[in-house]
Amino acid sequence: MFQKPNKPMSEINPTPNHTNNHNDNVDTVVGPSVKVEGDFASEGNIIVKGIVSGNVKTSQMLTVESGAKIFANVNAERALISGDIKGNVKISDSLELTETAQVQGDINCKVLTIAPGALVSGKVNMKGIDLKSEDEKTEKRRSFGKLKKTEEDLEK
Amino acid sequence: MYVYLYDNFLREKKHDSTIKAIETRLTDFGIAGKIIRLQNFTDAKAIIDDEIKKGIEQIVIVGNDETFGKVLSRAATCDILFGFLPIGSNSNNRIAEVLGIPVGVEACDVLSKRRKIKLDIGWFNNRYFVSRLHIPPAKIKVEYDEKFAVSAKDRMELVVCNLQPFNWSKKGKKDYVIHPQDGKLEAFLLPVVGKKFFKDQYEDPSIFPFKEMVVSAKKPFLVVADGKNSKETKIKIRLAKKRIEMVVGRERKF
Repeated sequence: MFQKPNKPMSEINPTPNHTNNHNDNVDTVVGPSVKVEGDFASEGNIIVKGIVSGNVKTSQMLTVESGAKIFANVNAERALISGDIKGNVKISDSLELTETAQVQGDINCKVLTIAPGALVSGKVNMKGIDLKSEDEKTEKRRSFGKLKKTEEDLEK
Repeated sequence: MYVYLYDNFLREKKHDSTIKAIETRLTDFGIAGKIIRLQNFTDAKAIIDDEIKKGIEQIVIVGNDETFGKVLSRAATCDILFGFLPIGSNSNNRIAEVLGIPVGVEACDVLSKRRKIKLDIGWFNNRYFVSRLHIPPAKIKVEYDEKFAVSAKDRMELVVCNLQPFNWSKKGKKDYVIHPQDGKLEAFLLPVVGKKFFKDQYEDPSIFPFKEMVVSAKKPFLVVADGKNSKETKIKIRLAKKRIEMVVGRERKF
Protein backbone atom coordinates (compact mmCIF):
# COMPACT_ATOMS: atom_id res chain seq x y z
CA MET A 1 0.00 0.00 0.00
CA PHE A 2 2.76 2.41 0.94
CA GLN A 3 5.25 1.00 -1.51
CA LYS A 4 6.47 3.05 -4.42
CA PRO A 5 4.87 2.02 -7.70
CA ASN A 6 7.02 -0.32 -9.75
CA LYS A 7 8.01 1.86 -12.65
CA PRO A 8 10.01 0.53 -15.58
CA MET A 9 13.74 1.30 -15.49
CA SER A 10 13.49 3.73 -18.40
CA GLU A 11 11.00 5.89 -16.48
CA ILE A 12 12.94 6.00 -13.19
CA ASN A 13 16.24 6.81 -14.80
CA PRO A 14 15.63 7.81 -18.39
CA THR A 15 18.59 6.83 -20.51
CA PRO A 16 18.20 8.51 -23.84
CA ASN A 17 18.89 6.54 -26.98
CA HIS A 18 22.37 6.74 -28.46
CA THR A 19 21.03 8.49 -31.51
CA ASN A 20 19.79 11.57 -29.66
CA ASN A 21 22.47 11.80 -26.96
CA HIS A 22 25.40 11.78 -29.29
CA ASN A 23 28.08 13.92 -27.64
CA ASP A 24 31.26 12.77 -29.30
CA ASN A 25 32.30 16.26 -30.32
CA VAL A 26 33.62 17.50 -27.00
CA ASP A 27 34.85 21.09 -27.41
CA THR A 28 38.46 21.89 -26.61
CA VAL A 29 38.48 24.45 -23.79
CA VAL A 30 41.50 26.42 -22.59
CA GLY A 31 40.58 27.66 -19.10
CA PRO A 32 41.26 31.21 -17.79
CA SER A 33 44.34 30.39 -15.68
CA VAL A 34 45.79 27.85 -18.09
CA LYS A 35 48.72 28.60 -20.37
CA VAL A 36 49.21 26.67 -23.60
CA GLU A 37 52.62 26.73 -25.32
CA GLY A 38 53.11 25.27 -28.79
CA ASP A 39 51.04 24.72 -31.89
CA PHE A 40 47.52 23.92 -30.91
CA ALA A 41 45.28 22.10 -33.38
CA SER A 42 41.86 20.50 -33.06
CA GLU A 43 39.21 19.03 -35.32
CA GLY A 44 36.36 20.29 -33.14
CA ASN A 45 35.35 23.64 -31.71
CA ILE A 46 37.95 25.51 -29.63
CA ILE A 47 37.11 27.89 -26.78
CA VAL A 48 40.03 29.99 -25.51
CA LYS A 49 39.65 31.66 -22.11
CA GLY A 50 43.36 31.72 -21.13
CA ILE A 51 46.70 32.32 -22.87
CA VAL A 52 47.89 30.49 -25.98
CA SER A 53 51.47 31.09 -27.22
CA GLY A 54 51.49 29.27 -30.53
CA ASN A 55 49.46 28.78 -33.66
CA VAL A 56 45.81 27.85 -33.23
CA LYS A 57 44.17 25.77 -35.96
CA THR A 58 40.70 24.22 -36.16
CA SER A 59 38.43 23.06 -38.95
CA GLN A 60 35.43 24.36 -37.02
CA MET A 61 34.49 27.26 -34.72
CA LEU A 62 37.03 29.24 -32.66
CA THR A 63 35.81 31.35 -29.73
CA VAL A 64 38.27 33.70 -28.02
CA GLU A 65 36.63 35.02 -24.86
CA SER A 66 37.19 38.44 -23.30
CA GLY A 67 40.50 38.48 -21.37
CA ALA A 68 41.97 35.61 -23.43
CA LYS A 69 45.20 36.13 -25.39
CA ILE A 70 46.63 34.40 -28.45
CA PHE A 71 50.21 35.20 -29.48
CA ALA A 72 50.44 33.60 -32.95
CA ASN A 73 48.52 32.95 -36.13
CA VAL A 74 44.95 31.73 -36.07
CA ASN A 75 43.32 29.47 -38.66
CA ALA A 76 39.66 28.42 -38.41
CA GLU A 77 36.42 28.00 -40.32
CA ARG A 78 34.42 30.45 -38.19
CA ALA A 79 35.51 32.67 -35.31
CA LEU A 80 34.03 34.85 -32.59
CA ILE A 81 36.72 37.06 -31.08
CA SER A 82 36.27 38.97 -27.82
CA GLY A 83 39.88 38.77 -26.60
CA ASP A 84 43.32 39.77 -27.90
CA ILE A 85 45.14 38.24 -30.87
CA LYS A 86 48.69 39.18 -31.86
CA GLY A 87 49.11 37.43 -35.20
CA ASN A 88 47.40 36.87 -38.52
CA VAL A 89 43.81 35.67 -38.53
CA LYS A 90 42.76 33.43 -41.42
CA ILE A 91 39.09 32.42 -41.40
CA SER A 92 37.55 30.49 -44.28
CA ASP A 93 33.99 31.56 -43.51
CA SER A 94 32.70 34.22 -41.07
CA LEU A 95 34.59 36.26 -38.48
CA GLU A 96 32.94 38.31 -35.75
CA LEU A 97 34.84 40.82 -33.62
CA THR A 98 32.98 42.01 -30.52
CA GLU A 99 33.52 45.37 -28.76
CA THR A 100 36.32 44.00 -26.52
CA ALA A 101 38.28 42.38 -29.37
CA GLN A 102 41.80 43.52 -30.26
CA VAL A 103 43.57 42.13 -33.32
CA GLN A 104 47.13 43.08 -34.24
CA GLY A 105 47.73 41.37 -37.55
CA ASP A 106 46.23 40.78 -40.98
CA ILE A 107 42.70 39.46 -41.29
CA ASN A 108 41.63 37.14 -44.08
CA CYS A 109 37.99 36.04 -44.19
CA LYS A 110 34.81 35.72 -46.24
CA VAL A 111 32.28 37.53 -44.01
CA LEU A 112 33.39 40.08 -41.40
CA THR A 113 31.35 41.61 -38.57
CA ILE A 114 33.01 44.28 -36.42
CA ALA A 115 31.25 45.69 -33.36
CA PRO A 116 31.90 49.35 -32.40
CA GLY A 117 34.86 49.47 -30.02
CA ALA A 118 36.77 46.55 -31.56
CA LEU A 119 40.39 47.40 -32.43
CA VAL A 120 42.14 46.16 -35.56
CA SER A 121 45.68 46.97 -36.68
CA GLY A 122 46.54 45.27 -39.96
CA LYS A 123 45.35 44.54 -43.47
CA VAL A 124 41.87 43.15 -44.09
CA ASN A 125 41.45 40.85 -47.09
CA MET A 126 38.07 39.44 -48.05
CA LYS A 127 37.36 36.87 -50.73
CA GLY A 128 35.06 37.61 -53.69
CA ILE A 129 35.86 41.34 -54.05
CA ASP A 130 34.86 42.74 -57.46
CA LEU A 131 35.42 46.50 -57.66
CA LYS A 132 36.75 46.95 -61.23
CA SER A 133 35.39 49.86 -63.31
CA GLU A 134 32.59 49.33 -65.88
CA ASP A 135 35.01 50.00 -68.81
CA GLU A 136 37.36 47.26 -67.60
CA LYS A 137 34.46 44.86 -67.27
CA THR A 138 33.12 45.56 -70.81
CA GLU A 139 36.66 45.24 -72.19
CA LYS A 140 36.98 41.88 -70.51
CA ARG A 141 33.61 40.77 -71.92
CA ARG A 142 34.65 41.90 -75.43
CA SER A 143 37.95 40.05 -75.31
CA PHE A 144 36.12 36.95 -74.05
CA GLY A 145 33.68 37.27 -76.99
CA LYS A 146 36.58 37.56 -79.43
CA LEU A 147 38.22 34.49 -77.97
CA LYS A 148 34.99 32.52 -78.34
CA LYS A 149 34.67 33.63 -81.98
CA THR A 150 38.18 32.54 -82.88
CA GLU A 151 37.51 29.17 -81.27
CA GLU A 152 34.36 28.78 -83.38
CA ASP A 153 36.32 29.76 -86.53
CA LEU A 154 38.96 27.18 -85.70
CA GLU A 155 36.28 24.51 -85.29
CA LYS A 156 34.91 25.42 -88.76
CA MET B 1 30.85 -21.83 -22.75
CA TYR B 2 30.46 -18.80 -20.49
CA VAL B 3 32.52 -17.96 -17.41
CA TYR B 4 31.11 -15.56 -14.81
CA LEU B 5 33.51 -13.59 -12.62
CA TYR B 6 31.68 -12.62 -9.41
CA ASP B 7 33.06 -9.77 -7.31
CA ASN B 8 33.70 -10.32 -3.62
CA PHE B 9 31.02 -7.84 -2.51
CA LEU B 10 28.30 -10.07 -4.00
CA ARG B 11 28.67 -12.34 -0.94
CA GLU B 12 26.66 -9.72 1.00
CA LYS B 13 23.20 -10.97 1.87
CA LYS B 14 21.39 -8.03 0.28
CA HIS B 15 22.48 -9.20 -3.19
CA ASP B 16 21.32 -12.81 -2.73
CA SER B 17 17.89 -12.35 -4.31
CA THR B 18 19.31 -10.49 -7.36
CA ILE B 19 22.00 -13.13 -7.87
CA LYS B 20 19.42 -15.93 -7.66
CA ALA B 21 17.13 -14.17 -10.13
CA ILE B 22 20.04 -13.58 -12.53
CA GLU B 23 21.17 -17.20 -12.36
CA THR B 24 17.61 -18.41 -13.08
CA ARG B 25 17.31 -16.03 -16.04
CA LEU B 26 20.69 -17.13 -17.43
CA THR B 27 19.61 -20.78 -17.20
CA ASP B 28 16.38 -19.88 -19.03
CA PHE B 29 18.42 -18.32 -21.83
CA GLY B 30 20.74 -21.32 -21.88
CA ILE B 31 23.82 -19.22 -21.19
CA ALA B 32 24.59 -20.28 -17.63
CA GLY B 33 28.20 -21.25 -17.03
CA LYS B 34 31.07 -21.61 -14.63
CA ILE B 35 31.17 -19.18 -11.70
CA ILE B 36 34.49 -17.91 -10.34
CA ARG B 37 34.50 -15.69 -7.24
CA LEU B 38 37.15 -12.97 -7.30
CA GLN B 39 39.06 -12.37 -4.08
CA ASN B 40 40.79 -9.11 -3.18
CA PHE B 41 44.18 -10.23 -4.48
CA THR B 42 43.05 -12.42 -7.38
CA ASP B 43 44.72 -11.69 -10.71
CA ALA B 44 41.86 -11.72 -13.20
CA LYS B 45 44.22 -12.03 -16.16
CA ALA B 46 45.68 -15.34 -14.95
CA ILE B 47 42.19 -16.76 -14.43
CA ILE B 48 40.98 -15.63 -17.86
CA ASP B 49 44.11 -16.94 -19.62
CA ASP B 50 43.55 -20.27 -17.93
CA GLU B 51 39.91 -20.40 -19.01
CA ILE B 52 40.73 -19.39 -22.61
CA LYS B 53 43.02 -22.44 -22.81
CA LYS B 54 40.02 -24.54 -21.80
CA GLY B 55 38.10 -23.13 -24.77
CA ILE B 56 35.56 -20.71 -23.30
CA GLU B 57 33.81 -18.24 -25.61
CA GLN B 58 32.86 -15.38 -23.27
CA ILE B 59 33.86 -13.84 -19.93
CA VAL B 60 31.10 -12.08 -18.02
CA ILE B 61 32.02 -9.61 -15.29
CA VAL B 62 29.44 -9.55 -12.50
CA GLY B 63 29.67 -6.57 -10.12
CA ASN B 64 29.90 -2.80 -10.40
CA ASP B 65 32.13 -0.11 -11.98
CA GLU B 66 34.99 -1.04 -9.67
CA THR B 67 34.82 -4.73 -10.67
CA PHE B 68 34.69 -3.76 -14.33
CA GLY B 69 37.82 -1.61 -14.02
CA LYS B 70 39.65 -4.10 -11.80
CA VAL B 71 39.16 -7.01 -14.21
CA LEU B 72 39.71 -5.20 -17.51
CA SER B 73 42.77 -3.21 -16.41
CA ARG B 74 44.63 -6.54 -16.29
CA ALA B 75 42.65 -8.64 -18.76
CA ALA B 76 42.40 -6.16 -21.64
CA THR B 77 45.17 -8.01 -23.47
CA CYS B 78 43.12 -11.23 -23.50
CA ASP B 79 41.58 -11.94 -26.88
CA ILE B 80 38.05 -12.86 -25.83
CA LEU B 81 34.52 -11.43 -25.82
CA PHE B 82 33.52 -9.71 -22.57
CA GLY B 83 30.08 -9.22 -21.06
CA PHE B 84 28.92 -7.25 -18.02
CA LEU B 85 26.14 -7.86 -15.49
CA PRO B 86 25.91 -4.75 -13.27
CA ILE B 87 24.63 -5.28 -9.73
CA GLY B 88 24.09 -2.80 -6.91
CA SER B 89 23.03 0.84 -6.84
CA ASN B 90 22.82 3.00 -9.97
CA SER B 91 25.46 5.38 -8.56
CA ASN B 92 28.02 2.55 -8.54
CA ASN B 93 27.09 1.51 -12.07
CA ARG B 94 27.70 4.50 -14.29
CA ILE B 95 29.71 2.54 -16.86
CA ALA B 96 26.76 0.18 -17.35
CA GLU B 97 24.58 3.20 -18.15
CA VAL B 98 27.04 4.33 -20.84
CA LEU B 99 27.17 0.80 -22.28
CA GLY B 100 23.37 0.62 -22.30
CA ILE B 101 23.20 -2.30 -19.86
CA PRO B 102 20.42 -2.08 -17.22
CA VAL B 103 21.32 -2.84 -13.60
CA GLY B 104 20.08 -6.20 -12.24
CA VAL B 105 18.20 -9.06 -13.89
CA GLU B 106 17.37 -7.11 -17.10
CA ALA B 107 21.09 -7.15 -17.96
CA CYS B 108 20.72 -10.87 -18.84
CA ASP B 109 18.52 -9.90 -21.82
CA VAL B 110 21.32 -7.66 -23.17
CA LEU B 111 23.87 -10.42 -22.61
CA SER B 112 21.79 -12.97 -24.50
CA LYS B 113 21.43 -10.68 -27.52
CA ARG B 114 25.24 -10.57 -28.02
CA ARG B 115 25.39 -7.11 -29.61
CA LYS B 116 29.19 -6.87 -29.95
CA ILE B 117 31.27 -3.69 -30.17
CA LYS B 118 35.00 -3.02 -29.93
CA LEU B 119 35.91 -0.36 -27.39
CA ASP B 120 38.86 2.04 -27.12
CA ILE B 121 40.62 2.06 -23.77
CA GLY B 122 43.44 4.01 -22.15
CA TRP B 123 47.01 2.81 -21.55
CA PHE B 124 49.53 4.22 -19.13
CA ASN B 125 52.96 2.97 -17.98
CA ASN B 126 52.43 -0.65 -19.11
CA ARG B 127 48.87 -1.12 -17.89
CA TYR B 128 45.37 -0.39 -19.12
CA PHE B 129 42.59 1.70 -17.65
CA VAL B 130 39.01 1.39 -18.74
CA SER B 131 36.92 3.93 -16.92
CA ARG B 132 39.10 6.84 -15.73
CA LEU B 133 42.51 8.00 -14.60
CA HIS B 134 42.74 10.65 -11.91
CA ILE B 135 45.65 12.75 -10.64
CA PRO B 136 44.72 14.71 -7.47
CA PRO B 137 45.96 18.36 -7.30
CA ALA B 138 49.72 18.48 -7.92
CA LYS B 139 52.24 20.77 -9.58
CA ILE B 140 52.26 18.99 -12.94
CA LYS B 141 53.08 19.84 -16.53
CA VAL B 142 51.12 18.24 -19.34
CA GLU B 143 52.33 17.76 -22.89
CA TYR B 144 49.84 16.72 -25.58
CA ASP B 145 50.65 14.69 -28.70
CA GLU B 146 54.23 16.15 -28.62
CA LYS B 147 52.79 19.39 -29.99
CA PHE B 148 51.81 21.67 -27.14
CA ALA B 149 52.28 21.91 -23.39
CA VAL B 150 49.76 23.05 -20.80
CA SER B 151 50.67 24.54 -17.43
CA ALA B 152 49.03 26.58 -14.69
CA LYS B 153 50.34 28.98 -12.03
CA ASP B 154 49.43 26.70 -9.13
CA ARG B 155 48.55 23.00 -8.74
CA MET B 156 46.29 21.19 -11.19
CA GLU B 157 43.98 18.20 -10.95
CA LEU B 158 43.78 15.96 -14.00
CA VAL B 159 41.01 13.56 -14.96
CA VAL B 160 41.30 11.42 -18.09
CA CYS B 161 37.96 9.91 -19.02
CA ASN B 162 37.13 7.03 -21.25
CA LEU B 163 33.98 5.17 -20.24
CA GLN B 164 33.08 6.91 -17.00
CA PRO B 165 31.39 10.27 -17.61
CA PHE B 166 33.10 13.35 -16.22
CA ASN B 167 30.97 14.94 -13.53
CA TRP B 168 31.46 18.63 -12.92
CA SER B 169 28.53 19.11 -10.58
CA LYS B 170 30.05 21.62 -8.17
CA LYS B 171 28.72 24.55 -10.12
CA GLY B 172 25.79 22.75 -11.68
CA LYS B 173 27.65 22.32 -14.94
CA LYS B 174 26.75 19.62 -17.44
CA ASP B 175 27.95 16.03 -17.37
CA TYR B 176 30.19 15.17 -20.27
CA VAL B 177 29.35 11.78 -21.72
CA ILE B 178 32.45 10.46 -23.39
CA HIS B 179 32.24 8.52 -26.63
CA PRO B 180 34.39 5.42 -26.07
CA GLN B 181 34.93 4.91 -29.78
CA ASP B 182 35.80 8.39 -31.01
CA GLY B 183 39.48 7.55 -31.47
CA LYS B 184 40.67 9.79 -28.64
CA LEU B 185 40.68 10.21 -24.87
CA GLU B 186 39.45 13.33 -23.11
CA ALA B 187 41.54 15.10 -20.47
CA PHE B 188 39.92 17.49 -17.99
CA LEU B 189 42.32 19.86 -16.24
CA LEU B 190 41.16 21.62 -13.12
CA PRO B 191 43.57 24.31 -11.89
CA VAL B 192 43.38 25.16 -8.18
CA VAL B 193 42.73 28.89 -7.84
CA GLY B 194 42.69 29.24 -4.04
CA LYS B 195 41.32 27.91 -0.77
CA LYS B 196 38.02 28.51 0.96
CA PHE B 197 37.17 26.99 4.38
CA PHE B 198 40.30 24.75 4.07
CA LYS B 199 39.00 23.37 0.78
CA ASP B 200 40.63 23.79 -2.63
CA GLN B 201 38.72 26.01 -5.01
CA TYR B 202 38.78 24.97 -8.64
CA GLU B 203 38.43 26.86 -11.86
CA ASP B 204 36.16 25.66 -14.67
CA PRO B 205 37.77 22.65 -16.39
CA SER B 206 39.98 22.95 -19.44
CA ILE B 207 39.22 20.14 -21.87
CA PHE B 208 41.63 18.62 -24.37
CA PRO B 209 40.86 15.57 -26.52
CA PHE B 210 44.14 13.70 -27.21
CA LYS B 211 45.78 10.49 -28.44
CA GLU B 212 48.98 10.67 -26.43
CA MET B 213 49.86 12.73 -23.39
CA VAL B 214 52.85 13.01 -21.08
CA VAL B 215 52.36 14.19 -17.50
CA SER B 216 55.51 15.10 -15.59
CA ALA B 217 56.45 16.76 -12.32
CA LYS B 218 59.57 17.41 -10.22
CA LYS B 219 58.03 15.69 -7.18
CA PRO B 220 56.20 12.32 -7.33
CA PHE B 221 52.46 12.66 -7.78
CA LEU B 222 49.59 10.26 -7.05
CA VAL B 223 47.91 8.48 -9.97
CA VAL B 224 44.57 6.70 -9.47
CA ALA B 225 43.69 4.50 -12.46
CA ASP B 226 40.46 2.48 -12.17
CA GLY B 227 40.69 2.80 -8.37
CA LYS B 228 44.34 1.63 -8.11
CA ASN B 229 46.88 4.04 -6.62
CA SER B 230 50.51 4.54 -7.61
CA LYS B 231 53.12 7.29 -7.27
CA GLU B 232 54.88 8.49 -10.40
CA THR B 233 57.08 11.36 -11.63
CA LYS B 234 56.36 10.89 -15.32
CA ILE B 235 53.56 9.03 -17.05
CA LYS B 236 52.67 8.55 -20.68
CA ILE B 237 48.96 8.10 -21.37
CA ARG B 238 47.97 6.66 -24.70
CA LEU B 239 44.87 5.42 -26.46
CA ALA B 240 44.59 1.69 -27.17
CA LYS B 241 42.22 1.61 -30.13
CA LYS B 242 39.48 -1.03 -30.26
CA ARG B 243 41.22 -3.16 -27.62
CA ILE B 244 38.21 -4.78 -25.91
CA GLU B 245 35.34 -6.62 -27.57
CA MET B 246 32.25 -6.16 -25.46
CA VAL B 247 28.55 -7.03 -25.47
CA VAL B 248 26.57 -3.77 -25.21
CA GLY B 249 22.92 -2.73 -25.08
CA ARG B 250 20.78 -0.91 -27.62
CA GLU B 251 20.43 2.03 -25.26
CA ARG B 252 24.18 2.72 -25.19
CA LYS B 253 25.27 6.33 -25.25
CA PHE B 254 27.60 6.20 -28.24
